[in-house]
Amino acid sequence: MATLEELQARIQRLDDIKQIEQLQKIYGYYMDYGEWQKLVDLFADNDPSVEEADRGVYKGKEGVRRYYIDLLGGVPGKVPRPGWLSIMFQLQGVISLDVGATTAKGRWYGMGMEAKPTTSLHEGELRQTWISGVYENEYVKEDSKWKIKKLHFNLTFRTPFEDGWLKVPVVGQTGPDSKILPDEPPTAYSPYPSGFHLPVSFKHPITGK
Amino acid sequence: MDLDSLERQVTLLEDIQEIENLQRIYGYYFDSHQYDKVVDLFSENAVSAEIESHGVFNGKEGIRRFYWDDIGKKSQTMPPWMIRLLIIQIGGVVSVAPDGKTAKARWQTWLPEVMPSAAGPRQVWLHGYYENEYVKENGRWFFKKIYWNCTFYTTYETGWMRFPMLGYFPFPDSDAPPTAFHPYPSGYKVPYHFPHPVTGEP
Amino acid sequence: MTLELLEAEVTRLEDMQEIEDLEKKYGYYFDTRRVKDVLDLFSENTESVEIESHGQYLGKDGVRRMYMVGVGGEAETALKDIVARREKSSGAGFNVITQLQGVVTIGSNGKTAKGRWQAWLAESFPFAGTFGQYWLHGYYENEFAKENGTWLFTKLFWNTTFFTRYETGWLVQPIVGFLPMPNPDNPPTAFHPYPSGYHFPYSFPHPVTGEVEVPVFRYVHPMAT
Repeated sequence: MATLEELQARIQRLDDIKQIEQLQKIYGYYMDYGEWQKLVDLFADNDPSVEEADRGVYKGKEGVRRYYIDLLGGVPGKVPRPGWLSIMFQLQGVISLDVGATTAKGRWYGMGMEAKPTTSLHEGELRQTWISGVYENEYVKEDSKWKIKKLHFNLTFRTPFEDGWLKVPVVGQTGPDSKILPDEPPTAYSPYPSGFHLPVSFKHPITGK
Repeated sequence: MDLDSLERQVTLLEDIQEIENLQRIYGYYFDSHQYDKVVDLFSENAVSAEIESHGVFNGKEGIRRFYWDDIGKKSQTMPPWMIRLLIIQIGGVVSVAPDGKTAKARWQTWLPEVMPSAAGPRQVWLHGYYENEYVKENGRWFFKKIYWNCTFYTTYETGWMRFPMLGYFPFPDSDAPPTAFHPYPSGYKVPYHFPHPVTGEP
Repeated sequence: MTLELLEAEVTRLEDMQEIEDLEKKYGYYFDTRRVKDVLDLFSENTESVEIESHGQYLGKDGVRRMYMVGVGGEAETALKDIVARREKSSGAGFNVITQLQGVVTIGSNGKTAKGRWQAWLAESFPFAGTFGQYWLHGYYENEFAKENGTWLFTKLFWNTTFFTRYETGWLVQPIVGFLPMPNPDNPPTAFHPYPSGYHFPYSFPHPVTGEVEVPVFRYVHPMAT
């Protein structure tokens, strides 16, 4: 039979996992509506980073702010252009709490539908696309709240609705932005059909490997 | 409430979390072609695996035959380079038995994939439901039975209504034919393992 | 920490799990047209249900009217026949609603809750006389109450993002058409599908800042460039 202390620890663990799952899902909802400041506020203050597709790594709270508000948002207060659509489901999350339960990792699938320009981030004709990829993220408990420490979205495909992932796996602009520069080049960009599989952050539940 | 009852409740929450993770991890290993790791998620006393129209594979031996021999081609090397699997595990409803030793769960899956066909690799959409069973052995949850029922398997260019099923794919070394392969538009409904949450009826 | 506090925390975690399961079961029953089972998930004190452009239906009676009567305007007395007919309907019409990304917020008294989900749908049904295949997307903002130890729906609101044909896509054809149902109690309260730019307000506070959403209708005129 467990002691009160043991039960408390187990309950805390369940609670931590639930909080991290909610954090990531809320990230998805804010991304859908382009709520850039709210997204920045989900990140840790201490040394966070964000890397999506082949845009490069943006480091530190200042880098995270530069990524979401300056790069993805455009100028501050900019209203998304008419016809803009950005939906990215946050699915199949597997959270691994580290020993000590102050840090954690999570693997998620991102899958969605977009209507965005493809020749650049903000300018050009809107295209309807399916987008799919894998997140391998890190989380940290700061001031008793779980926050995102590292967000890494690894693109699998971004295909025009008219074509499909086999015919046109990735459409549009590639490479880091030339004006709002990342802090480091992309660390892992191998979309379909490279066959690349982003290594998993969780241990095998049975063999432990 | 006493400590014992509280512990039972906590154990139940942990069981649900672990089973959900087991299912999601199955999906991630399957998508990255790590079939030996998939087989290791099954109990030694596993009952069967039945997926799509491939037929029923019995026991741990049948499961190894299905995932490792048939799908994995007995190796971890990459499948033909165009082939791409993505089974997204969605919406799991887990029911743990009162004795805490077995469980059942229903899941949905969306699959945007590239699969081989007689005409070469095709981009396809699939949808299907799982009704799976799990067993707790030595404090760990394992798969006992996997059952994936295909709703449709259509090509990207056509869609489920115009082209619901790309073909019929029984595996020659199955132990039994598929038990309930009734894809759209048959109207077949995969039975639920769970009772109605409010009325308690099946 | 005391046993009572721990117990309260465990109850809260169990409540979240139960509500998440309730929402998923709703989806599974909806997909298989088990209309009566869907109805039985709603409280007798249901406030309202509103889906797509069907209009707003009030109370448990409204829920019954919306899910069961449907297009055609059949009278309540024929309800049993409609249920039987729908549950036996052929597979040509079908829907798959996936309940995704649920974020559940339990109220401070532990008796009410709210939840946001996304739904991604593949459907085929007749529209204007011919069968078509469709992709749909939308967000739910739902409310729940705990009655006699069981969680039930008290409000369901599915807000459409798009309803497009498989062959055309959301950018080219955001809305195939309107789907009004007979005798709603009110017209749709917030039917502003893509590309309106409408943001469906969140039920959850910001996880870090704690800020609560102040709804702002960011409307973009479809003829703006």
